[in-house]
Amino acid sequence: MPITPNQETPKPVTPSGALPMLILRVLQSGTLHGYAIGQRIHLLSSEVLGVEEGLLYPTLQKMLVKGWVTAEWGISETNRKVRCYRLTPEGRKHLKAELSGYDRVTQAIQEILRTA
Amino acid sequence: MAELFRRIKYLINRRRLDAELASDMEFHREMAARAGRSNFGNTLRMREQAREAWGWTWLDRLVQDLRYGVRILARSPGFTLMAVSVLAIGIGINVAAFSLFDMVALEPLPVRDPSSLVRLERRSPTAYTSEMPYPSVLFYGAHAKTLSAVMAVLGIPPMQLDNDIQQASAFFVTSNYFTELGTPAGMGRLFDPAREDASGAAPTVVLSYGFWQRRFGADPSVVGRIIHLNGKPVTVIGITPYAFASLAGQTPDIWLPMPQQPYFVDGSHILTDSGDSAVRMWGRLAPGVTQKTAAQELLALTNELRRQHPNDIWDNEYIDIHPGGRMQVMQEMMYQVAAMVAVLTLLILAVACANLGGLMLARAVTREREIGIRVAIGAGRWRIFRQLCTESLLLAALGSLAGLALGNIVVRVSLSSMDAPKWINPSPDWRVLLFTLGLTLLAAVFFGLAPALQITRQRQHKTIARQVLVGAQVAASCVLLIVAGLLVRASQHALYTDPGFGYQQLLTIDAQLAQHGYAPAAAKAYLSQMQARIRALPGVQSVSLVKLPPLGHAVMRLNREVDGHAILVYPNWVEPGFFQTMGIPLLMGRTFYPGEKNAVVVSESFARWQWPGRSPLGQQLGDDDKKDIVVGVVGNARINALSDNDATEQYWPAQPDDMPGMTVIARTAGTPDSLPPIVKSISESIDPRIFPEIRQLKALYQDNISPVAKVATIVSLIGMVAVLLAGVGIIGLVAFTVSQRTKEIAIRIALGARKSQVLAAVLRQFAWPVALGLVAGTGIAAASSRVLRKALFGVNNLDPLSYVTALCILAAILAVAAVLPARRALRLDLAKTLHYE
Repeated sequence: MPITPNQETPKPVTPSGALPMLILRVLQSGTLHGYAIGQRIHLLSSEVLGVEEGLLYPTLQKMLVKGWVTAEWGISETNRKVRCYRLTPEGRKHLKAELSGYDRVTQAIQEILRTA
Repeated sequence: MAELFRRIKYLINRRRLDAELASDMEFHREMAARAGRSNFGNTLRMREQAREAWGWTWLDRLVQDLRYGVRILARSPGFTLMAVSVLAIGIGINVAAFSLFDMVALEPLPVRDPSSLVRLERRSPTAYTSEMPYPSVLFYGAHAKTLSAVMAVLGIPPMQLDNDIQQASAFFVTSNYFTELGTPAGMGRLFDPAREDASGAAPTVVLSYGFWQRRFGADPSVVGRIIHLNGKPVTVIGITPYAFASLAGQTPDIWLPMPQQPYFVDGSHILTDSGDSAVRMWGRLAPGVTQKTAAQELLALTNELRRQHPNDIWDNEYIDIHPGGRMQVMQEMMYQVAAMVAVLTLLILAVACANLGGLMLARAVTREREIGIRVAIGAGRWRIFRQLCTESLLLAALGSLAGLALGNIVVRVSLSSMDAPKWINPSPDWRVLLFTLGLTLLAAVFFGLAPALQITRQRQHKTIARQVLVGAQVAASCVLLIVAGLLVRASQHALYTDPGFGYQQLLTIDAQLAQHGYAPAAAKAYLSQMQARIRALPGVQSVSLVKLPPLGHAVMRLNREVDGHAILVYPNWVEPGFFQTMGIPLLMGRTFYPGEKNAVVVSESFARWQWPGRSPLGQQLGDDDKKDIVVGVVGNARINALSDNDATEQYWPAQPDDMPGMTVIARTAGTPDSLPPIVKSISESIDPRIFPEIRQLKALYQDNISPVAKVATIVSLIGMVAVLLAGVGIIGLVAFTVSQRTKEIAIRIALGARKSQVLAAVLRQFAWPVALGLVAGTGIAAASSRVLRKALFGVNNLDPLSYVTALCILAAILAVAAVLPARRALRLDLAKTLHYE
């Protein structure tokens, strides 16, 4: 059973703001196609986070234009020709910056939650 | 930057990339279906959203809107044709006006480094002259480090070429004139400082291309030939190029080198007399030098000149620098005129746009259904607004293209009628294109914004926007008509009223004695003999002398301040008989006694300014050390400022020292047409070296006022176009209102309303916009026509006749335009209308 923060609504949460960061992070270990990216995020978050298709593809397009990822042709598990996304050096740099920013913010929030 | 390139790559490869995106999503759906989930929504919408990340959605929409706009316009060709023609008139007139301004004032001359060319003039807080003594030019040229070169131009009376009947116009120029401008010779060679400035150089002449064609039939063998100018042999060394760009658009028939001036004009001291402002000065700024730095250095040099020649330099004199590398050296006054023309032409555009705006509003009602459907199937207000704006822009662009063509035709026609320099290229340059683009946007906002807002808010039936547009059209046409009225009055006034002196029977004979080195006594003897012999001719009524002849080449002007009022004084030096010869009435006191000193005669307007309510006779005038006593008052005669009603005159008795600069003036009983050849032979018998310039005032007067008449005609035409546009606009609006209110009108008539009541009901909504427009237009015209004062030949800029005439014409046209379509309302077939509704 997935462990969700709220048992009454088992619908996955969509991490809209942090999505580019998560995508960059899962691509760090290798190229993936769109569906796999969604799946990987879903699984790694212990099925707490779900990426809506309507959000995933616009975000990927944006990241392509920004130059954080590139697309290349690959073969899927079902033997279908499919586009796979690969992290670029620029994307790696951006991920690093995002992560450190994110760490600072979470730490700060934790601080407040603990002491306030 | 890299991101922009990627975006553009996405734009170029969008078809392939879109297919790839679609395949991605299709794959995603397959996989999701396998996993037992199928919540994939509207793929098309999602793909659109994903594509938005590329940043080209606006372009897609624009293309969509444009396509739709083209379809809409193509579906109603009548409306489109009407709209484009209205816009073409409004924009075309502006494009034509701007093109001409561009050519004259903005377009650099096609010469070497035009931006560093400057025009240099003497100025002080109270005095100005366009000319400068030649020795000063040499002085500035030798000492100014901020100027890399100076050039001088001396205009002289036409010269006698061999035995021609028609004289040839001529300029003396410093021999660096052509080399500084980088002008290549059309044939032979042009002046070369190394040769023309050498001592003992043989006299040379350069012919202009046009003169060479006219006079010598383009004969190439003329180069090297010896011709005679004023009886002096001179060698033709070359021809200027066909498209020669000269400074300030000077186009004389022949060009002569300055060092030869004493050779052609016997006894002249112009080249050495430091007190005789005779030549026009031009310069070239040294590389990297600004006008300001040059002005500072020239001021220091002017002060040095004053030390050398204390009498020849004014108090606080400085050298005024203007950019000189254009066809016209722009002075402040000319910018004012340009601004006024711009306002008038923009008014036409305003009328055209308001007109079109009204049309668009009327169309909006017929498009109500279409817009309603679009809103119903989900188009947002913003989207509809954008669509309408795109349509307006499309229309404006079409109108601008037509306007550009129309404007260019106007420019070509006016250039060919003006004898413009050949180097001028009438095709629109980048400035004109940019201007047209700006005008397109302005027009689109002007005529498109109000209707678009109203349609978007689904308020097609509101009348307020329509009323505002009617008011604007009426106001703008009103201003144009009033200004046209004023100008027509001014040209009529100039043509048919007395300018203060009887010009029809006057002849001036300028012997240019000073230029021939005549001493005062010799000049007096010459002039007395000339006067006596002309007086003895049959038909000659009166002969006299004047220093600055009416409508002459030289004008002198002083700025005076009287009780805080700036007035312009035109001084002159005359013989006692001058007023009688000119036909200027003596209103008070007396004219001069022969040989009188320290006396002055003033014009009536000057006396009124200077001594309001007091008798001017016996008053003193002048600076502390040399006061002159007013002995007489004469009628206003703007002999050198015809168009300026604010001009005043002062006359001093000519002194013996003035004699070499005096001009003979003669009045005949009939027209003096037969006199010039006789005077010529008299002059030859007195001194054969002298070729006096003989001019008939009648012709000069006509030359002087023909521009005003022309401008009046053009502005009247523009005004009539504006009024017709406004009239057509009102016909359309009233017809539209009638068709909208058919039912109401029919009911009123059925219930027994009188015809006049029905008409009033239909027209009431246009009454106050028209009234407001008339009031606003009159106010604007009254306020802005102040700048016209100097051009109105004495017609008051609040001249009631012009205003009343303009307003009556406008009111009549508007009334006809309103009543014609409204009468349709009275001829309704009641039964049919009521049945139908």
